[in-house]
Amino acid sequence: MITLGKIMAVHSYKGGTGKTLLSINLAATLVKHGKKVCLLDLDFRAPSLSTILKIEKVDYWLNDYLNGTCEIDKVLIDLSDKIHNGGKLFVGLANPTTEAIRDMSAKDRKWEMRALGRLLALKNSLLNDKGFDYLIFDTSPGLQYSSINAIVSADLVLVATTFDRSDIDGTKRMLKELYELFEKKTEIILNKVLNDVSSRYGREEVQTKIKDIYQVPLLGIIPCFCDVLKGEGDIIFAQERPGHPFAKILEEIANKIDNNII
Amino acid sequence: MYTCKTLRGKRVTKQEVLGKKPLHVLEKIRENLEKLNEKMEVMIELQKHGRKDIQPLPEAPLDVMTLLSMPDHLRKTAMTVCRLGRATADEIAQQTHRARAVESAYLNQLVIMGHLKKERKGRKAYFYVDRESQG
Repeated sequence: MITLGKIMAVHSYKGGTGKTLLSINLAATLVKHGKKVCLLDLDFRAPSLSTILKIEKVDYWLNDYLNGTCEIDKVLIDLSDKIHNGGKLFVGLANPTTEAIRDMSAKDRKWEMRALGRLLALKNSLLNDKGFDYLIFDTSPGLQYSSINAIVSADLVLVATTFDRSDIDGTKRMLKELYELFEKKTEIILNKVLNDVSSRYGREEVQTKIKDIYQVPLLGIIPCFCDVLKGEGDIIFAQERPGHPFAKILEEIANKIDNNII
Repeated sequence: MYTCKTLRGKRVTKQEVLGKKPLHVLEKIRENLEKLNEKMEVMIELQKHGRKDIQPLPEAPLDVMTLLSMPDHLRKTAMTVCRLGRATADEIAQQTHRARAVESAYLNQLVIMGHLKKERKGRKAYFYVDRESQG
């Protein structure tokens, strides 16, 4: 069977690289393109989507789906009314209670193997049966079980990285020892860039630098915007401030993904 | 019509030599040859890796960390089974673009290592990850 939709995992070596913000805004941008998108919070160690999206009442979590106690339909929450003039947005949330975080971090290999099976099954249940165009996995940083499960299940891995030296070293290792071993298509998004990338010369300089470091294509360069930091993770720029440079860069990234340029 | 002589010199047709259901007999022979071939492929594969003493492991979950630590050639096969859910060596070979005999050997090695299960249905052998019964 030919699957038309695509699964993307947003991952990074270190925390604080902007994975969640990128995931939400990329999802919102694709929804504005008229797509049916499902955003899943697979960061079970530090769940944050429920807070950012201000969702208070949740009957079933992704934890329940991976535990095999419910089907994915029960987990998904329809947020399409939050994004105007667009397609459909559904989210699946990770349980943010301390008890649930502790429970998820104590799972054994057999459980993780079954969790991988359930994540792989989403391709069939959500992309093929329910007609979603995109699944976006927001993951935990580094080599966590849940993140590697997400990477194995994805068609494309978007790696959020910064110019932080330890982040560069770790990302380089992950490219060789994780994504490449699983033969995953990988794209880099360089975030929180302090260099001047407003000019073409500035952008090309950063692009060359990144290509030299990682030897993989660069999908987008996102400068460090004070407005984004001031937003305290409370603003979906793609929806609330579509004219903002951050939203415009996300628009370019979404276009490349949507037009299968990558 | 094709005929041959029996030990007593009596001339008989091919149909008579093979009995009333020659096709059925041929099918059986082919099936047995395939089983033999599969066993030989496993033996060749095990010898290649110098592991003649390998015994099937009762339980070895195929989780991502196990996948990461596998040699590249086996990981490719194991990942394809994970993706397809349940598949024959032929179906795996179509995805990996390697020869069916090569995939058959790798799949059987993964079965011996305890990562995959194998089930025969008629002439076909299906390989799958047993996610439900383990644990």
